[in-house]
Amino acid sequence: MPNWLAIILFLLVVLGAATGVISGAVWSAGFLPAMPGWLIILLKIGIIVFGFVMLVASLMTLVGDRKQSAKIQNRIGPNRATFFGQSLGGLPHFIADGIKMLFKEDIVPNGAHRTFHMVAPALIFIPALLGFSVIPFMDEYCSTGAPMVTPNYPFELCPNGEWLNYFQVIDLNSGMLFAFAIASIEVYGATIAGWAANNKYSLLGGMRSAAQMISYEVSLGLSLAGLLLIWGTLDLNEMVRLQGKLFAGWIPLWGIVIQPVAFFLFFLVGMAETKRPPFDQPEGESEIVAGYFTEYSSMKFAVIQLAEYVATVFLATLTAVFFLGGWQVPFLFADGFHFGGIGAQPDIALPYAVVIAMRIVAMLFKVLVVVWLQFMMRWTYPSFRYDQVMTMGWKIVLPLSLANFFVTAFIVLII
Amino acid sequence: MGEVNVKTLKQKDRTFWEQTYVTEFIKGLGVTMKHFFTNLSPNKEDRDTRTVEYPDEPRDYPDRYRGRHRLMVRDDGQVRCVACMCCSTICPADCIHIEAAEHDDPSIEKYPETFVIDQLRCIACGMCVEACPCDAIRMDSGVHVSAFEDREESFHDRETLMDLGGQSMAEQGGDHIPSPN
Amino acid sequence: MPKVTINNEEIEVDDGTTVMEAAAQLGYDIPHFCYHPALSIPANCRMCLVEVEDNPDLQPSCHMPVNDGMEVHTESERVVKARKSVLEFILVNHPVDCPICDQAGECKLQDYYMAYDAQESRLRTEKVDGVKVYPLGPEVVYDGERCILCTRCVRFCEEITETDELTTAQRGDHTEIRTFPGQELDNNYSMCTVDICPVGALTARDFRFKCRVWLMNTTDSVCTGCSQGCNIHLDHFRNEVQRYRPRYNPDVNDYWMCDPGRYTYKEVHQDRLEDPMVGDNVVNWHAATQAYVSTMDEALDTFEPSERAMVLSPQVSCEGLHQARRFADEVLETDRLYMGGKPGGESDDLLMNADKNPNRRGIEYVFGGLEAVDSFESLVDAMEAGEIRVLHMMNKHIPTTDDALRARFVDAVADLDLFVLQAMHRGEMVFPPDHRGDFPAADLDDPTLVELADIALPSSSHAEQDGTFVNEDGIAQPFSQSFKPLYNSQPDWQIFGRLGDEMGHSLSYRRLADLREEMFGDAEDDAKPKTLDDKQSKSRAPADAATQPTPAE
Repeated sequence: MPNWLAIILFLLVVLGAATGVISGAVWSAGFLPAMPGWLIILLKIGIIVFGFVMLVASLMTLVGDRKQSAKIQNRIGPNRATFFGQSLGGLPHFIADGIKMLFKEDIVPNGAHRTFHMVAPALIFIPALLGFSVIPFMDEYCSTGAPMVTPNYPFELCPNGEWLNYFQVIDLNSGMLFAFAIASIEVYGATIAGWAANNKYSLLGGMRSAAQMISYEVSLGLSLAGLLLIWGTLDLNEMVRLQGKLFAGWIPLWGIVIQPVAFFLFFLVGMAETKRPPFDQPEGESEIVAGYFTEYSSMKFAVIQLAEYVATVFLATLTAVFFLGGWQVPFLFADGFHFGGIGAQPDIALPYAVVIAMRIVAMLFKVLVVVWLQFMMRWTYPSFRYDQVMTMGWKIVLPLSLANFFVTAFIVLII
Repeated sequence: MGEVNVKTLKQKDRTFWEQTYVTEFIKGLGVTMKHFFTNLSPNKEDRDTRTVEYPDEPRDYPDRYRGRHRLMVRDDGQVRCVACMCCSTICPADCIHIEAAEHDDPSIEKYPETFVIDQLRCIACGMCVEACPCDAIRMDSGVHVSAFEDREESFHDRETLMDLGGQSMAEQGGDHIPSPN
Repeated sequence: MPKVTINNEEIEVDDGTTVMEAAAQLGYDIPHFCYHPALSIPANCRMCLVEVEDNPDLQPSCHMPVNDGMEVHTESERVVKARKSVLEFILVNHPVDCPICDQAGECKLQDYYMAYDAQESRLRTEKVDGVKVYPLGPEVVYDGERCILCTRCVRFCEEITETDELTTAQRGDHTEIRTFPGQELDNNYSMCTVDICPVGALTARDFRFKCRVWLMNTTDSVCTGCSQGCNIHLDHFRNEVQRYRPRYNPDVNDYWMCDPGRYTYKEVHQDRLEDPMVGDNVVNWHAATQAYVSTMDEALDTFEPSERAMVLSPQVSCEGLHQARRFADEVLETDRLYMGGKPGGESDDLLMNADKNPNRRGIEYVFGGLEAVDSFESLVDAMEAGEIRVLHMMNKHIPTTDDALRARFVDAVADLDLFVLQAMHRGEMVFPPDHRGDFPAADLDDPTLVELADIALPSSSHAEQDGTFVNEDGIAQPFSQSFKPLYNSQPDWQIFGRLGDEMGHSLSYRRLADLREEMFGDAEDDAKPKTLDDKQSKSRAPADAATQPTPAE
C-alpha cells in the first residue's frame, strides 16, 4: 500500500541530497576558488538542471498528475507496477513510462518537414531550461565565510573577502529581462512543431499556442512593472535580497506583500504561459486531438511533455523569486535570526553554512509549494474556451496589470 | 390546445464577487484542497478513498448478484434439470444448448444429456432462472464468470455448472406436498 | 332442416348434426377431449357440456343432435363452471409434469386449464401412481399418469386401422390403456394415436424429447414416402426437420398418415451429397458448371443425339421435371428418356401405396404421358449394347430390387464416356436400428454411383424448395419451402436452369410462378392434373367454421 508519508519522506531525502551536495560544496569552499571558473559553472548547471529542475519536472508527471489528482478525486492512483512486491507510491510506473517512451517507435508523418519536426521539441525544451540560468538559489557567497550584517539591510559586508557567485549560473544584472526573453522564445518551438507536422490539427494547435503565449507575454511583463518601480532593479538576486527587508521589524516586505494584485495577475498569467489546464487550448484535447504535438511520438513526445513541466517549474521559480522572497527565510540573516529588527547580535545565532542550507531549502520549498498550487488549480478548474482565454488576456488581465502599474507608479511618486 | 401552466423560475443573480469569479475560484480550490488533505491523512480510516483494489480486496457481491450459473442437484447428486427447454426458449441471447435424453428411472423420465451455456453470449439477464419451473438453474452462486483464454472455455458444460450446484428446498417430482393440516 | 339457436344466433343445419358441429359452423369452439371428427362418439370426457334450454341437465354437445327450435348456450355461467369442475376432476390424478411432457405447447389439457380452470389444486390426497414410460409398441410410449382416458387411441385402432390392439384395463382411477395380452401396438398407423392423443399420454419413440413443440416452425408440405401424397405439417427447427404430422385433407389422407411415411423425413438430413464434385474433387458451383459445360460441349460434338440419354426421377417435383424435359429437348437434344426412382414396396388398403415415388404421375403430366419414357431395364440393355455413351441421371435411386440388374447397371455406368449425376444423397443410407418400417430403395442406393460420376451435382430435398407433386389420383399438390437449401445443394429446376444457361440455351426462369404456368402447359386442359387449390388454401387459412365443420382435431 502506498504511504504518503513515505513519498514525502522520499522527496525530502531528494531535496536533502540536493542541498547536501550544494552545502557540501560550500564546506569545501577551500578548494572551490581554486577551481577554474568554467568548471564551477558546469558544476552549477549540472546540479541545477539534473539535480533539481529535471528531477522535479519528471517527478511531477507522477506525483502531480497522478497521485495528487488521485487524492483530489478520492482515488488511490497508480500502484499496480511493483518492485519486489512494493508499489513504492507508484514510482515503478514512472520508470516504466520512461522506458516505454524510449522504446516506442518514432514516427514522422508523411509530408512533414523532417528537420523542423525533429528540431522543434528541442526548441521548446532548451528555452525552458535556459531560463534557470539567472535564477538565484542563494545569495552570493562570502569567500571568508563570515559576512557582516548591517542594520541597513540589504547592505552586507564581506570583511577581508569577496562575494562569489556560487548559487546562480550567471549573475546578470538584467536577469529578469533575460528570463522573459528566453521564456518567449519557447513560442517558436510550439509553432514550428505545429507547422512541421503537416497536420491541420497540429497547425491549429501551433497557431493557438503562438497567439496565447504572445497575448499573455504582455501581461506577464506588465504585472511586474510595479515591482520594478518599487525595487528599481532587474537583477533577480538583488530583488530577492530587497525582499529581506522588514517593515516595522516584523513584516517581511515580500513581493506578495507590497504587490498583492500583481501576484495574482502573475500567477494567473504564468499558468496561461505554461499551456497547462485550465489554459490548455493549444492542446485542446476535445477539439484538435493533441494540438501542436499531435504527430509526435516516442521520446520527442516525452521531451515536449517534459518541457511543459519544466516551464511550470520555471514559472513557479519566478513566482517564488518575485513574490515569495526567493531564498529568504523570514527574519533570517547571514548570522542568524533577528526578530523585531536587525540588532547588533542575532537573537538566534547560526553558523553561516547552516544559514546557507536553510536558505536553499527555503527556496526549493517555495518553488515546490507554488508547483503544488498550480497542480491544485489544474485539477480544480475546467478548461476555458479559446475565445475566453483571449478575452481574458486582452480585456481583463492586461487592463488590470496596467491599472496596477499606474496605481503603483502614483503611490511611488507620492512616497 | 390545452392550457399550459408555465412557472417562471427566476435565476439567482450573481453577486459582485461571484461575477469576478475570484471568490468562486477560491471556493473551488477549497473543495479540492479539502479532499486532498483528507486523503493525505496518515490514518487510513480517515481517508475518503473510494477505490476498491479489486483483485487484492475481493468485494462482496450483493445478494441478488447474477453470477455464474449453477445447476442444482437432486438428493442423490443427479442433475435436477428435466430438460424442459424453458430456459433456452426464453434466453434472449440464445446461449443455452440442451439435448434431452431418456432417463433410466421412469419417475425422472427426462434429463439433459448435454447442457451447455455459452458464457460469451450470455448477457446475465437472469431470465433462465425465472423461467425454470424446477428451480434447477440459478445464478446465485456469488461467483462471477472468469475471463477466458480460449473460446472453448466459455462453454460451461453440465458438469462445470453442477460443480457449484446445491440442493434446493423445493420438492420435486410427483411426490405430493403433505397437507399443512 | 332444423333451426337451432346457439348463443342467441340462429342457424339452420342438416338433420343429424350434433350441437358441437352446429356451434362450430357458427364459430364457437366447444372444448372437448374425447370427440374426434373421424371417430365414433363416446361422450366420456364431459368437457363439451352445454346448456340446453328447457333441459334441467347440461348436455354433451358432441353427442346431442339438434332439434328444431333448440336453444343452446355454450358460454353461460353454468357451462363455464361445469368445465372448471370437469377439469378439476380430470386433474385429480394428472401429474402436471408439463416441463417433462412432450405435449406441452400443443396440449388440450394445458390450453383448457389456462382458459377455464386456472386455479391451484384443492386436493390434499396423494395422487394415484400410474405406469410411466410403458411401451405400447415399437413406436408408441404410454404414460398412465397423464392419460385422461378419452379412448381416442382405442377407437382409432378399432375403427380406422381395424386392428383392435388397444383397450382400457383396470377400473376407476386405476384405469389405463393397455394392449390385449400377447399383442402390441404395431400397425402401420400406430403413430396416429400420438397425434390424436389430446394430452401427453402417448408419445412417439422417435420424436420423444427431441424438440419442444413451441420451438418448431411448421410448413405445409407433402409426404414423399409414396405416391399417395399425404398432406403433412413439416415441423422444423433450426434448419432441421423434426417430424411430420398429417395435415387434414379429406380427398387424400383425411387426418392420417402411415408410420413409414413419417420416417421419410430422415432422408432430408441423412447422407446428403453436400457439394458439387468433379471426379473426386469437391468444387464450388461455378467450377462444377464450367466443368459440365466443357465436358458436355465436347460430348455433344462427339456423340450422336441417340447416344445421349437422361434418367428421370419421380422423386423430383414437377418443376424440376419440366426443366428436365426442356433440358433434354434443348440441350441434350435427345428423346432417350428413362424412368428412375425407388423400387416398389409394401402397400395396404388405407394409405400406403406400392409405388414409393411421390411424383410418378407428375412425369406423366409433364411429359404428356409415359409413352416417351422407357423403362429402366431397357436403359440397362441399351447401355450394355453400347448405344448410350452420355448419361445424365436425376437422383441415384435404382428402381429395382433385382441385384443382378443393379450390378449390370453399375457396370454399364463404369463404361460410359460421360456420366452426370444430379442427386440428393451421397451413398448408402443408414437408418438407426430402432427405426421401423420398410424403406424400399433407401438402403438399396449404391454409393458407387457418386464415385463413378464424372460430375455430381447436389440437389435439394422437398423441404428446401417450393414445388408440386402429383399424387396417384392425379391431384397436383404444392408444397412449400421450409428452410434454405442445406449445404451447397440447389433445387433441381435451378440446376437445370443454370446448366442450360451456361450451355447457351435460355432455360432459367426468374420466378417460379412463370415456370409453373408453363409446367403443364403443353397438355390439354382435361389432361392436366386436378388441383385442390380451394381446399389447399383453406386448410392453410385459420380454421374456418363454414368449410371445416369440426374444430381442429
